[in-house]
Amino acid sequence: MKRIWIIIVNVFIMIAMVIFVILYSNDENKSSIKRQIEYFENTTITMKHITENYLEGEQRICDVWTHYINSNEMTIDEAVTFIRTSHVQPNASAHIVFLDTLTGLSTKGRNGDLNNYSVSYERINLLNDVSWISEIGKSINVSRAYTNPVNGEQSIAFCNKVNVRDTSTGDIKNAILLRVMPIAELEQKWVFPKEEFASAELSMIDDDGDYIIKGHSFKNSNLFEFYRSYNDVDNLTIDELSKKITSSTGSITMLNSRGEECILAYTSISASKGWTLLNYIPMKNLSVNTENWLLIGFISVGLFVLFVFDLAVMIIFNKKLHLAAKEAAAANKSKTDFLSTMSHDIRTPMNAIIGLTAITEKKLNDTKVVEENLHKITQASNHLLTLINDILDISKVESGKLSLNPQTFSIVETAQNLVNLFQPMVKEKNIDFNFRVGNMNIDYIYADQLRINQIYINILSNAIKYTEPGGSVSVDMRQEESPKPGYVRVVYNVADTGIGMSKDYLAIMYQPFSRQIDSRVNSIQGTGLGLAITKQMVDLMEGSIDCQSEQGKGTTFTIVLDLPIADKQRDEMVLDSMDVLIVDDDRVCLETAIETLKSLGVNPDSTTSGIEALEMIKHRHEIGQDYRIVILDWKMPDIDGVETIQRIRKDLDSNIPILLISAYDWTDIEDKAKEVGVNGFISKPLFRSTLYDKINEILGTASKSVEPQNDYSDLEGMHILVTEDNDINWEIISNMLEMYNITTERAENGRICVEKIKNAKKGHYDLIFMDIQMPEMNGLDATRYIRALGDSYDSSIPIIAMTADAFAENVTECLEAGMNGHIAKPIDIKLVLKEIRKIKEDRKNEKNN
Amino acid sequence: MKKIISIILFVCTLVIFTACDGINANNEDKPFEPSYDTNTSCKITVAGSYDNFEALEAEFDRFNDIYPNVQLSYVKLDDYSNTIATVLESKDKPNIFFSYAGMVGNESYKSVFEHMENLSDSSLNMNLNCIRSGLINHDENGNVLMIPVLSRTYGMLVNKDLFKKFNLSIPTTLEELNTVCETFKTKGYESPMMGYSRKSSSCFMYTLAYPMFVVTLAKNPEALALANALNPAAGEYMRPALEAMKQIIDKKYIDINECDEIADNYTKVILRFFEGDVPMMICAGDTVSGTKKRESQSEAFKNSPFDYTFAPIPLTEEGGYFIDSPSIEFSVNKYCDNLDMTNEFMRFLISNKELNNLASIKRLLTPTKDLSFDTIYAPFGQVPSDRIVSPEVLGVLDPLTVQIRVAAYRVGKGELTIDEAVEMYGSF
Repeated sequence: MKRIWIIIVNVFIMIAMVIFVILYSNDENKSSIKRQIEYFENTTITMKHITENYLEGEQRICDVWTHYINSNEMTIDEAVTFIRTSHVQPNASAHIVFLDTLTGLSTKGRNGDLNNYSVSYERINLLNDVSWISEIGKSINVSRAYTNPVNGEQSIAFCNKVNVRDTSTGDIKNAILLRVMPIAELEQKWVFPKEEFASAELSMIDDDGDYIIKGHSFKNSNLFEFYRSYNDVDNLTIDELSKKITSSTGSITMLNSRGEECILAYTSISASKGWTLLNYIPMKNLSVNTENWLLIGFISVGLFVLFVFDLAVMIIFNKKLHLAAKEAAAANKSKTDFLSTMSHDIRTPMNAIIGLTAITEKKLNDTKVVEENLHKITQASNHLLTLINDILDISKVESGKLSLNPQTFSIVETAQNLVNLFQPMVKEKNIDFNFRVGNMNIDYIYADQLRINQIYINILSNAIKYTEPGGSVSVDMRQEESPKPGYVRVVYNVADTGIGMSKDYLAIMYQPFSRQIDSRVNSIQGTGLGLAITKQMVDLMEGSIDCQSEQGKGTTFTIVLDLPIADKQRDEMVLDSMDVLIVDDDRVCLETAIETLKSLGVNPDSTTSGIEALEMIKHRHEIGQDYRIVILDWKMPDIDGVETIQRIRKDLDSNIPILLISAYDWTDIEDKAKEVGVNGFISKPLFRSTLYDKINEILGTASKSVEPQNDYSDLEGMHILVTEDNDINWEIISNMLEMYNITTERAENGRICVEKIKNAKKGHYDLIFMDIQMPEMNGLDATRYIRALGDSYDSSIPIIAMTADAFAENVTECLEAGMNGHIAKPIDIKLVLKEIRKIKEDRKNEKNN
Repeated sequence: MKKIISIILFVCTLVIFTACDGINANNEDKPFEPSYDTNTSCKITVAGSYDNFEALEAEFDRFNDIYPNVQLSYVKLDDYSNTIATVLESKDKPNIFFSYAGMVGNESYKSVFEHMENLSDSSLNMNLNCIRSGLINHDENGNVLMIPVLSRTYGMLVNKDLFKKFNLSIPTTLEELNTVCETFKTKGYESPMMGYSRKSSSCFMYTLAYPMFVVTLAKNPEALALANALNPAAGEYMRPALEAMKQIIDKKYIDINECDEIADNYTKVILRFFEGDVPMMICAGDTVSGTKKRESQSEAFKNSPFDYTFAPIPLTEEGGYFIDSPSIEFSVNKYCDNLDMTNEFMRFLISNKELNNLASIKRLLTPTKDLSFDTIYAPFGQVPSDRIVSPEVLGVLDPLTVQIRVAAYRVGKGELTIDEAVEMYGSF
């Protein structure tokens, strides 16, 4: 849904809610007003009863007077005197007026002439028609409000027809007795009893709507004229209104003279014919909570704030989702690119393998072609293997299952292997390769050798891969003190003069499937996973990886790892005090070598030139203090190491032991060097242990513990049980081992293996290679079974896993099942032989012990 | 010489206009500024003879906008003329009461005048300038004891739509009046003019004759004294008025028989006019005051409403007269409770705005100098000043009016000849 629609829907809901609240509030108000009006009407009825009681009470007095006057046939003077004596209310008075003359006497004197009791109603239109005065006791005969002609006060009068005897004739004359009550007094008594209706005003009207008593807010002299003046009505409505008000009980709403809405409650006063009590109150004065605007305002503001908040959150979420979608799309694209790349990268070596295999089949008689093709097939296979390993690793990285399997190993050996591993590639690409070590005093560490090796290989292989022929790659490896107790800090710095990386790529280079150069359009092969895996592994080891790169100039990676120092370390390596000359044009290497030699307890002299070295050797020889050993770098600018040796032997006629240092494989110069008199070779980097061993070897002071490089004759005659269900795999391993005169026997699955072990004589098998995933009984179960056998031979026979399950957890699983080692398929025969030798020596040591 | 005279005339004209402008400026209301705490609470009563006085009650509401706690009420007194003196002495003594020009010089109202406050006292700060000077009565001491709040005059209600229908203008001279009447008669209107004629009180004969009689007296100051003294010798001065009135009847511009159908001199007169077939209805301003409310009571008018106005009756060749009389005057009871607030209310009321508002609601003539605000009375604003007569200023007393009223009625009815009526002056 588009944002605008969401906003519209939200606004619509908000408006709907506010409208609902307004309607509900109005409805509640109406109900409340209705209740208040009902209450107001009821109060008016109560007031009616009070009024009726009052009127009846006053009329009753008037009736009593009339009875008394009539029964005693009093004259007007006697009647007035009687009333005057019986009348106790100070403000009230009474008038007796003859009907024929409308004149008479008052019980009180006139204003300003208190002795004048005469009264005249001639010009007051009140008694001209007395039909409204009923017979005594039949109703309340109360007049409209009028001006008392005696004292000028606005008054009402309770009236009765009375018979008064004429003083002169003695005849009985008709007269009216008026008990006159000032309105002001009445108003004081006629107070509305309810506090909540304090502003209510009472009035009384006759059946014509003329006010008998008029409240302040009532306008005009007639209620209906008042209504007509300020309300939009016609005559018919007024007539209906008049009938309604003067004959029933209820209330109406009307506008007052200010245009305000008012409630007019009305009820007929039954005691007085045609009279209606009115009760008036402005609507605003009803105690109704009409101030719900606060609630509505609060809800409106609340909804608006909620809306804005939701909108803001929605926008933020949308941005995040947009970003996530963008990232997902990018990741998806990366994966698509990756799959495309993988397809390309896998097909390329596969093409080589398949193609070369086909060619080889056709040219089996041409040994040279076969040899070349097999070499190329091997290279393609290795590349394919790397590719698969990387994919497996990144799969683990992404699933968070990458774990470390620490073990004790030699970091020095790791570094040496590293050099050895890349020598051929460096040589092939004609790259100036320097591997310098410094202060590598700690040999054994306890860490995941496989992963550390992988980190170092990844970084170094990238450096070599992306450096053009003629460029240089420098490796600096050193140990520093670690801030963690029991740890050593290993700094691994690889600098190349390769193609470098762009800033854009630097930002994403640790992301899986990313690579700066597409292998599909570039000859440089790569999975785009190496750096991602490396970064994950470094992070896992709580180390750091730093990269400085400039496109076209080169890249420098620095990896810092704090690694635990293993308990096992080499014995103290100290040589006899002796003078040693070391010659190397690489000043860094030279300084490092000097430091290493000093740490071994010898006194090193040094020079960067072969010529100078000759001078120094000559000088020492002349003073009778020959160096005990000379260590020469092979490649030097003036004269190289071989020529220097040649001159030492020829010109100086010296038999001084000489070691030739080479950063590369010395096989090319081995013959020539031996011919001119070299005593031994040593490869860079010059580890302390390497120097120690080599010097001892040259001087004949150490036992020969060095493994023969390509001599596996010691393994001849061994008999190995290979548990392998796959025929081809069985064929490969059996043939490979056969080349080294190692005999094999096959077990097709775990169960057969167990049977064979159980039935074998003690010592019949030297070793078992155990596949893991096999029918009937897998390798793990078979191992556990064998280890559980009571026989000590069976339970201790070495079992090496030989499986395509190459993950670390698979290795751990194998070791936990009781195996002694793990070789991942596809197998590297050298690794297999190395593992066999290790097993053999371990068995020999056990026997000796 | 001509040039000099022209310059002098121009300068004089300029001075006059400037002076007029100054008068107008003085007449402009200043916004009412309360003199007391607006939360002051008290009661003020106005006593009068009107059955109801909604226009005044509207002013109460407007005053309450400023002083919300001042409770103002109007009380109608029975037999006002006879009871006002008593009421002023009673416990219910009003703060303000109606007073009439007719009270002046009447001994029975002596005590009433004793209660009246001098409203021209400068300390009260009443804006008497807003009232037409001809309406203000000063006593022998120059005090103003009564302030007119409404005024009245005599004239005719004119059905403007009928005039428009026959392309006629409202007549402003006798000749025009004759022409208009003749035209209407030819159009089938048998009685182009009508009025109340059943009794002498407020009869159309009086309305026609009175203005001319007063004007005649005004022109003869010695005659006024005779007339006020009801001296028969003054009867001769009625003659022009009676002749003018008789002439209208004789020309059959008024059908008395039809006029006799009108049952009373107020409501029925208005309702008859609202029938829509009477071009001109002769009446006093007091009758005009009832027109507004009765528009809704007349079915004929509701069905066919028309535009109407109130105009002077042009009984002379020069035109009609504007008899400018106070209808209601207010006096302040100087012995009342809350006298300060009472004067505050009077100060509020005596202004162009409030008096015009009062007159507009009551639909009586405003006593202020501006008559143009009410279209009904606007024609009287056009009457030149030399044709405006104020009987009260002139000194016309009530007994005099009775003489001309009865004489006109009886002559109009044919009961007396003009000569007989003239001779009988003072005996009516």
